[in-house]
Amino acid sequence: MISELPEEYLFDLESEQRVLSSMLHSEDACIEAYNLLTASDFYSPRNALLFELSCGLFLREVRPTLVEVLKEGHHLGLFTNPRDIEELKYVAEHYIDDENIKYWIGKVKDKSRLRRFVDFLKASYEILMEQQGADVEQILMSAEEKLTNLTALEIDDHVDSPADMANLGYDEVERRFLRYKSINEVNKGLIPLDGLSTGFDNLNHVTLGYKAGDLIILGAQTGHGKTAFALHTAKAIAVDSKKSVLYLNTEMSREQIALRWGSILSAIEHERIRAGSINETELSIILNAYSRLRDSGFYSYPCPNLTPEKTISIARKFKAQKNIELMIIDYIGRMDKFDPRIPEWQMLEQIVKTQKMLAQNLKIAVMCLVQLNADGTMQGARRMKNECDLMLKLTPIPREEFELNEEIKKYLNPNYYLIIEKNRDGRSGVSIPIVFDLQKQTMKDAERISR
Amino acid sequence: MTFDEKNKRVYAESVSLIADMGFKDKLSIEEMNFLLNLLDVVIVKKEQPRLIQTLKNWMNTNEGSEIDEIIKATFLAADFNDQESLEQCLQLVTELLESREEQNG
Repeated sequence: MISELPEEYLFDLESEQRVLSSMLHSEDACIEAYNLLTASDFYSPRNALLFELSCGLFLREVRPTLVEVLKEGHHLGLFTNPRDIEELKYVAEHYIDDENIKYWIGKVKDKSRLRRFVDFLKASYEILMEQQGADVEQILMSAEEKLTNLTALEIDDHVDSPADMANLGYDEVERRFLRYKSINEVNKGLIPLDGLSTGFDNLNHVTLGYKAGDLIILGAQTGHGKTAFALHTAKAIAVDSKKSVLYLNTEMSREQIALRWGSILSAIEHERIRAGSINETELSIILNAYSRLRDSGFYSYPCPNLTPEKTISIARKFKAQKNIELMIIDYIGRMDKFDPRIPEWQMLEQIVKTQKMLAQNLKIAVMCLVQLNADGTMQGARRMKNECDLMLKLTPIPREEFELNEEIKKYLNPNYYLIIEKNRDGRSGVSIPIVFDLQKQTMKDAERISR
Repeated sequence: MTFDEKNKRVYAESVSLIADMGFKDKLSIEEMNFLLNLLDVVIVKKEQPRLIQTLKNWMNTNEGSEIDEIIKATFLAADFNDQESLEQCLQLVTELLESREEQNG
């Protein structure tokens, strides 16, 4: 009988304490536990409470050390006597190495699932006893659905029934129809975006913006505007729209990134800013420009030793604490390999797959910058193209284009093409002429001078 | 036991000791919170060298005078999570220590 199961078979207090202790000692462990567990996974109510206190502090960007958890519990009236301190100290002493955190989280999770399975057995037994004349097929179907949820699916997973899918589809179309109609009336035909602004009106028009779950790949050759494009995107989203963006840079220092912003936001030549060769009026313009950055949602994380695992952990942290809507990785060719023996293309494929999964799990857009070869091709391009939702290339407009292509003559001073190589939700094979001011590090749509 | 493990054990024991004294009213809540914050700063966060130095300067010359009481109250009111307020507190304590030194000749 189920009730005869030894009670200790259903919980593992040591694992719970090791996870909690690890959260008290390491931020990485905290990120892992926050993302993989919930308070209901803990058997002991005391441990569940400590988990909730730690997560609460973590979300407020306070590192949940033993001291902070103790102060928080005391402040909330939860820890009031010396026995509480002893219990907390006992938990804190179960520290483990960071690399073992997933093992202990797995053990806590397994016991939690086991308890849910026992609850399922008990509930099924009760149904059998109480509804002896009920339809057997229906009882079995209902039991099978519950059991499938316990085995195959994680808590967050969800299977859509045909009715769910039909309702979702109609709601989406209706929402878009009403929004389009209202914006058409108010803005006289301006197409509303589905996601984040790309910073280019023409690209917005074709893509309807960067959407949550999207993986965007931007390729350019060395010195042809990868970082300028990344910061232009960040400006449109974090500075102009005040939404949170996380920018991971693998090759530039904090100072270099900060100086680039001075140029982008003030439109004063980067070289002059770097050299300090500016007058007092320009200094004042730059000061005003930085005040826009101060009020923005731009979070920068220079990280020369970036690995795919690290991007997951950093993205989770910033999603929880800053609610980021876009993460930009500048650039993936400089990320450290999972395994030094694997070839470059295979490594890039693995990185891109990880980032696509991350975008979907966290419901954010992820933009990866990649380096193009000298001939304009991209290493592992076909595989990357399979994984991404939007693939863009930034490339100078060849000289002969200006003589042979009548269309390009209709634009004012374009010097670069933004080529849409793949667009899961719309047209691809489109080349958008843009103006890239290398000196000022700014980009914009090229203006049309005739129709 | 490794050095890191020893450190963690000393930290946990110290937290327990300070909190125990706070819960048993041997320390005021402000004193308890200050000591706990200080412990976090020294062992876990390993930051605020100026705070540690200012505290050492005061401890070496503490005579229990009226100025020392003011300095203690200033320290206890410091907000460890607000760098600006902490800097102001340290500046004030430094000025108080200097004025006491001048008074003592």
